[in-house]
Amino acid sequence: MDSWIHPALFFFVGALLLPLLRGKAKKGFILLIPVAAIVSVAFARYGTYGVYHFLGMEGVFGRVDKLSMVFAWVFVIMAFLGALYALHREEDGHHIAGFFYVGSALGALFAGDYLTLFIFWEVMAFSSVFLIWYGKKEKSIAAGFRYLLFHVFGGLLFLAGMMLYYQKTGSLAFNSILSANASLPEYLILAGFALNAAVLPLHAWLPDAYPEASVEGAVFLCAFTTKTAVYVLARGFSGFEILAIMGTAMTVFGVCYAVIENDIRRVLAYHIISQVGYMVAGIGIGTAMAVNGAAAHAFAHILYKALLFMGAGSVLYMTGTAKMSRLGGLYKYMPLTMIFYIVGAVSISGFPLFSGFVSKSMIVSAAHHEGRIWLMSWLNLAGIGTFLSVGLKVTYFAFFGKEAAEPLQVKEPPLNMLWAMGLTALLCFIIGVFPQTLYVLLPFPVEYHPYNLAHLSEAMQILSFTGLVFYLMVKKLSPEAKLNLDVDWFYRRGTLLFMKFDEKVIAPFDTLWGELYRTLGLRALFKNAELSYTFDQKAIDGVVDGTAYSVMDFGSVVKKMQTGRIQTYIGLSLFLFFAILWLVL
Amino acid sequence: MNVLKIIEYLIAKAAPLKTAFFVFLGALVLFDLFLPREHAHYFVDKIYAFWTFFALAGCFLLIKISKGIAHLFLSKDEDYYG
Repeated sequence: MDSWIHPALFFFVGALLLPLLRGKAKKGFILLIPVAAIVSVAFARYGTYGVYHFLGMEGVFGRVDKLSMVFAWVFVIMAFLGALYALHREEDGHHIAGFFYVGSALGALFAGDYLTLFIFWEVMAFSSVFLIWYGKKEKSIAAGFRYLLFHVFGGLLFLAGMMLYYQKTGSLAFNSILSANASLPEYLILAGFALNAAVLPLHAWLPDAYPEASVEGAVFLCAFTTKTAVYVLARGFSGFEILAIMGTAMTVFGVCYAVIENDIRRVLAYHIISQVGYMVAGIGIGTAMAVNGAAAHAFAHILYKALLFMGAGSVLYMTGTAKMSRLGGLYKYMPLTMIFYIVGAVSISGFPLFSGFVSKSMIVSAAHHEGRIWLMSWLNLAGIGTFLSVGLKVTYFAFFGKEAAEPLQVKEPPLNMLWAMGLTALLCFIIGVFPQTLYVLLPFPVEYHPYNLAHLSEAMQILSFTGLVFYLMVKKLSPEAKLNLDVDWFYRRGTLLFMKFDEKVIAPFDTLWGELYRTLGLRALFKNAELSYTFDQKAIDGVVDGTAYSVMDFGSVVKKMQTGRIQTYIGLSLFLFFAILWLVL
Repeated sequence: MNVLKIIEYLIAKAAPLKTAFFVFLGALVLFDLFLPREHAHYFVDKIYAFWTFFALAGCFLLIKISKGIAHLFLSKDEDYYG
C-alpha cells in the first residue's frame, strides 16, 4: 500500500504554525496550505489508508474512492479561494478557525467509520461557530450560540443512532444502507445528517446564522457544512424515498423565502436550502444518474454559491450593509464586483455556458428519466425562483434600481477579494463550457449530454419567460425592511414565551410560596423553638435535675446502711430475702 | 473605467435591447415548434411550448404566493426578536 498524507493534516498543522509567522511570510503561508492540500488530493490513489484500532473497533481515516474524491477536489479548491478572499484579515483566529473547519470537513469526507466521522463532525461544528462570532456584532454572538446548540443537538442524534447501530450490527463501518433494512438507529443517524444538510424542518439554523457571520467566514460556511452532509447522505442513504420528497420540498421552500427576504446574504442563505434540496432529491431518487447529478451539483454549487457570497460580502464590506432596501445603483462604484456576482447568478440559475446548466439539469433529467414528472416540475419551479430571486431581484435592486437615499460613494473591494471572485467566476465558466472536466470526477460513468436541443429549449424558455414576468412585476418585488418568521420562531420566541410564563406564573408562585413560608412557616418555626425551649427548661431540666436529686438522696440513705459490719449486711440480706419471699408467695 | 463605460452604453441602449428581448422570446417559442418530439413520453415533452406557460404561470404564482404569505403573517418588524 502506498503512503499518503491526508490533506486535513496540512490544515491542522498549518493552523497551529500560523501564529508563529509575521507579515508577508504569513500571507504566503495562508495560501500555501491549501495548495499543499490540492497537491495531496491530486496524488491520492484509491484505497484505504490510516486504519487504526480503538476499544476493539476498527477506524479508518482515509477511505479514498470516487465519491470521496469528487468532494475532496472541490473542498481543497474552495479552501484556496476562500483563503485568498480572506487574506486581508489580520486576526490569526479567523484563519485558524477557517483551517480547522476545512480540515475537519476533509476528515469527515475520508472517514470510513462512524466514530471517526463523528469526531470530525463535531470539530467542524465547533470550529465553524468562530466564523460566525467573528461577525463581531451582538447578533452574531447570539446567532452563533443558537447555531452551536442546534448542531450539538444534531450531533447527539447522530451519536445515539451510532450507538444503537453498533448494538444492532456489531460494527461501526460507514457504508451504504438499504432503505428496506433501516430502523430506528439508521433513521437517527439520518436525522443527524439531515440537520446538517438543512433538511426541513431542521433547517432554521442556516438562514439564522450564516447572514450574521463575518464577510469572509460566510464564504467558508456556505461551502462545507451542508456539502459534507450531502456527501454522507450520498454515501449512506441513497435511494431513500423520503429524501426525494424532502429535497424537492426544500428547493421550493428555499426560493419562496429568497423571494421575500431583504438582506442579500439572507437571500443567499435561504437559497442554499433550495440548492441543497436538489442534491438531497437526487440522492433520494438514487439512480446512478441522480447520484452523479447530486455530486456534480455539489461541486458546481460550492463554487458559484461561494462566488455569490463573495459578491454580497464585498458589498457589505465596502458599504456596511447588505440590505437591498438601503442599496441601489452600485454598478457605478463596483462594476467588477457586479460582473462577478452576475456570473455567479447566471451559473446558479442554470444558464447555458455556466456551471449550473450542466449540473442541476442532471438531477432534473434523472427525475425525468424515472418518470417522476411531478418531482421534475417542482424542481423546475424552484429553478424559476432561483433566477427570480438570486439572479434578477438582487442584481436589480442592489446594483441598479433607485440610488440609495444616502449616496454610496464606495470603491471596489481589496485586490485579493477581486482576484478570488475572478478565479471562482472563471471556474464556473470553465465547468459550463467543458462539462467533461467535472464529469470525469463523478462516482458513476456519465452518459449525459447537457447541450441537446430539447434541454436548451426547456432551459431558455424557463429563464427567459421568468425574465419577462420579472419585468412586468418588478414593483411587486421591491425589497421590504422586514424580518420573516421561520421555524426558529419556536426556539427563539418559544423560549421567550417560556421565560414570560416563568416570569408571570412560576416566579410569582415562587414569591408567594416564599412569602407564605416567611409569614407562616417562620413564625411557626419560632413558636416551635420557643416551646421547645420552655419544655427543655421546665420539663427536661426538671426531670434531669429531679433524677439527679433522687440519686443523691438515695445515695445518702444507702450511705447510712454502709456500716462496714458483716453481721448487719447478713441480717439485712436475710430480711430482704424473706420480704421478697413473702411478696412472691 | 472600461467596464463601467460598457455598462453605461448598454443602459443608454435600453429601448432597442428591450425590443431585442421580446424578439428573442418570440424566437424561443417558434424554436420549440420545430423541436423533434418522437421521443416524447410525458406531457411536459408533448405539449407545445410547455415550459413557456410553466414559467409564466409559475413565476407569477411564486411571487403572488410568497409575498402574500409574507404579508399575511410572516413579516415582522426587524427588531422582532430584540
